Amino acid sequence: MSDEGRLDPLTGQHTTGHDWDGIEELHTPLPRWWVLTLVLSVAVALVYAWLYPSLPTTFAASAGALGWTSRQQLADEIEAARLSQADWRGEISKRSVSEIERAEDIRVFAITGGRSLFNQNCAGCHGVGGGGQQGQFPSLVDDDWLWGGSVDTIYQTISHGIRNEHDESRQSEMPAFGDGGLSPEDVEAVATYVLTLSDSGLEESRKALPGAPIYETNCSPCHGAAGEGSRDFGAPRLADKIWLYGSTKDAIKRQVTQPRMGMMPAWSRRLGDESVKMLAVYVHSLGGGE
Amino acid sequence: MVAETHGPGNPMPTRRQAMGGVPASAHGTFRSIKTATTTLLLGLYFIAPWLRFARGPDAPDQAILVDIPGRRFYLFGLEYWPADLPLLLGVMIFAAASLFCVTSLFGRVWCGFTCPQTVWTDLFFEIDRRIDRLLGRKSGAATYLKPIIYSLVAFATAFTFTGLFFDITRLAPAAVAGVAPPAAYAAMAVLSFTTYVFAAHVREGICLHMCPWPRFQAAFLDTESLVVTYHRWRGEPRDRARVPLRLDLASVDLREHYGASPGQPDRLRGDCVDCSRCVNVCPTKIDIRDGLQMGCIGCGLCIDACNTVMKRIGRPEGLVRLGPEASADMPHLGPPPRRYLRGRPLYFGAVALAAGSSVAYGLATRSTLEVSIEPQRQPPFVTLADGSIRNDYNFRVAHLGKARGELVFAIPGQKEAMVRIAGANGAHDGISWGNHRSISGKILVTFPRALAPRGRVPVTILMTEREANKPLATIQSYIWGPEERP
Repeated sequence: MSDEGRLDPLTGQHTTGHDWDGIEELHTPLPRWWVLTLVLSVAVALVYAWLYPSLPTTFAASAGALGWTSRQQLADEIEAARLSQADWRGEISKRSVSEIERAEDIRVFAITGGRSLFNQNCAGCHGVGGGGQQGQFPSLVDDDWLWGGSVDTIYQTISHGIRNEHDESRQSEMPAFGDGGLSPEDVEAVATYVLTLSDSGLEESRKALPGAPIYETNCSPCHGAAGEGSRDFGAPRLADKIWLYGSTKDAIKRQVTQPRMGMMPAWSRRLGDESVKMLAVYVHSLGGGE
Repeated sequence: MVAETHGPGNPMPTRRQAMGGVPASAHGTFRSIKTATTTLLLGLYFIAPWLRFARGPDAPDQAILVDIPGRRFYLFGLEYWPADLPLLLGVMIFAAASLFCVTSLFGRVWCGFTCPQTVWTDLFFEIDRRIDRLLGRKSGAATYLKPIIYSLVAFATAFTFTGLFFDITRLAPAAVAGVAPPAAYAAMAVLSFTTYVFAAHVREGICLHMCPWPRFQAAFLDTESLVVTYHRWRGEPRDRARVPLRLDLASVDLREHYGASPGQPDRLRGDCVDCSRCVNVCPTKIDIRDGLQMGCIGCGLCIDACNTVMKRIGRPEGLVRLGPEASADMPHLGPPPRRYLRGRPLYFGAVALAAGSSVAYGLATRSTLEVSIEPQRQPPFVTLADGSIRNDYNFRVAHLGKARGELVFAIPGQKEAMVRIAGANGAHDGISWGNHRSISGKILVTFPRALAPRGRVPVTILMTEREANKPLATIQSYIWGPEERP
């Protein structure tokens, strides 16, 4: 084997100089562009590895010269999105919720943002469309409101929450009448009476029921003489067709003896005032707003 | 279609080679037509985006605008929505069939006069010729000035095109301030680059090497199509003007003139004096005397050039002319045929007519309203305090054209249903367009409990304009109620 290549007259190409029993190999190098592309790719890869996190260590990856992280990029994008909405949010923070409803463009912005906030924070309990969940969480699309359905009261409810540790939270508690307050017979009687409240045809005859005086003494201070409820205490109206915890006599007896009461976090601390305003305007637009 | 004969001796070095590939200017009918179409088309292109058209407060005032974020295409008083895309298909079929029809009648007039590549190349050739005339062909100043002017024209082209997608009156300030959409910068950069490369450097190379159209245009030609034809029967053999003319071409007078010289001349010539003018003026550098070929874009500049020469040497014009291809060898086919009602033109004309009239019909009868009404499914229905059942629907209505009156919704055949529209302050009977071209909101449909539908029931919602009491749209949807009666 000689190390010197020679010019092969037949092909016009040089040989590599390798010679095996008279069989020679033509020198056909990789195309220059191909080699350059490879070198360039390696160079780009090295620069990339230096700039960005890429080299694995035991628990994390090397930081990279640019200090880039996907978490920081997300934070930057969120910040940029916030900044791009700064004008609108400024308009919202300057106005009360009822003023927002009167300014058409701002109302549209609030409803759009409110929908997204609602789906993130509220839909878990109240449902995506605000339909609530029977036996658990009240519907927000009907015309029955425990604490008031005007946009201002909705704003206050979302802002401070219900029965939580927040200072301005809405507070009230229904006593458990089963613990010595009322005998089982009384509970039975008052449940029968309560069921007649929502039927306006029985207005006269229900007064003769044995539950009437018991209701008058124990329930009417909060739920009203005719079962109209009280929004000051979040006491539901009993004279309507909406029964969050069930409309059977058993369900009512259970509620009288061991009452269940909903609670809701104070969202202003978690979301900020502007977001709560947008939520209030959105909830008010759901169809049951007063 | 290969040259049979060439002039004796070496061909003269063409002026074209000396000019670095820029064709010499021609003068005559075809040059005038080409100048007129080039000026007209460039003028239309550069003026079009600057035209204004008042559309009211909700819409842009640019007469021709493709609004990509808004998904609208505005063309003066007309406005197109994505739903109108089938119209675009019709327009494209119409354009293609018209092109085929015109090609089968008159040859490649599209290539020769109106193709953007031709128009811009013609402009750049003219820039070259003017600068050469002004500063001298080999001057250093010209070599610097040309790229500057090329770049300016290329950028103006890209800027104008981008201005069809972004209000052109705001494009320059927005681009300078860095707030124009990234796509606008990309479009301007890419189009500047391609215009510069295609019009300043590649030029006729596009027609010769890149464009698919020359490859299949032969399929649209028939024996009577008008193409640029060199009349070989008249022109050959080529020789200098001093050589006597072929006797069959010459008039009686000339024969007497030649006859005066003693003996028969040892060689005779046809009308072509091999002056190369036809090659020098050709934008694609072809020799038309080789016959019809792919490189010929049918612009007719060689006809102008040849006619000028024929006039000068006192021979009849029309050695190169528009005619059927067969006339090259057959003198009796001399005058171009006037038979327009032939198979191919009729066929393509019929396709164009069908596509065009479909588009016109579609445009005349298309809906100017976009209505969508979606039932709210979470929850499917709401029980109200008095026991009645309410269904909610999200609606969105957009209209095209002039402002409209107040909208009301109703459910025909369901008298007990109360239909209201939720608004900023309570529910209303109707909703007003105001200044807006599109409105959305919520429709609330309430039934008394006893009359509520059971389960899911199909329903038709009717949208009406209140003042005119004119039904605008009917939408099929569903209404839900509790399964069992109270």
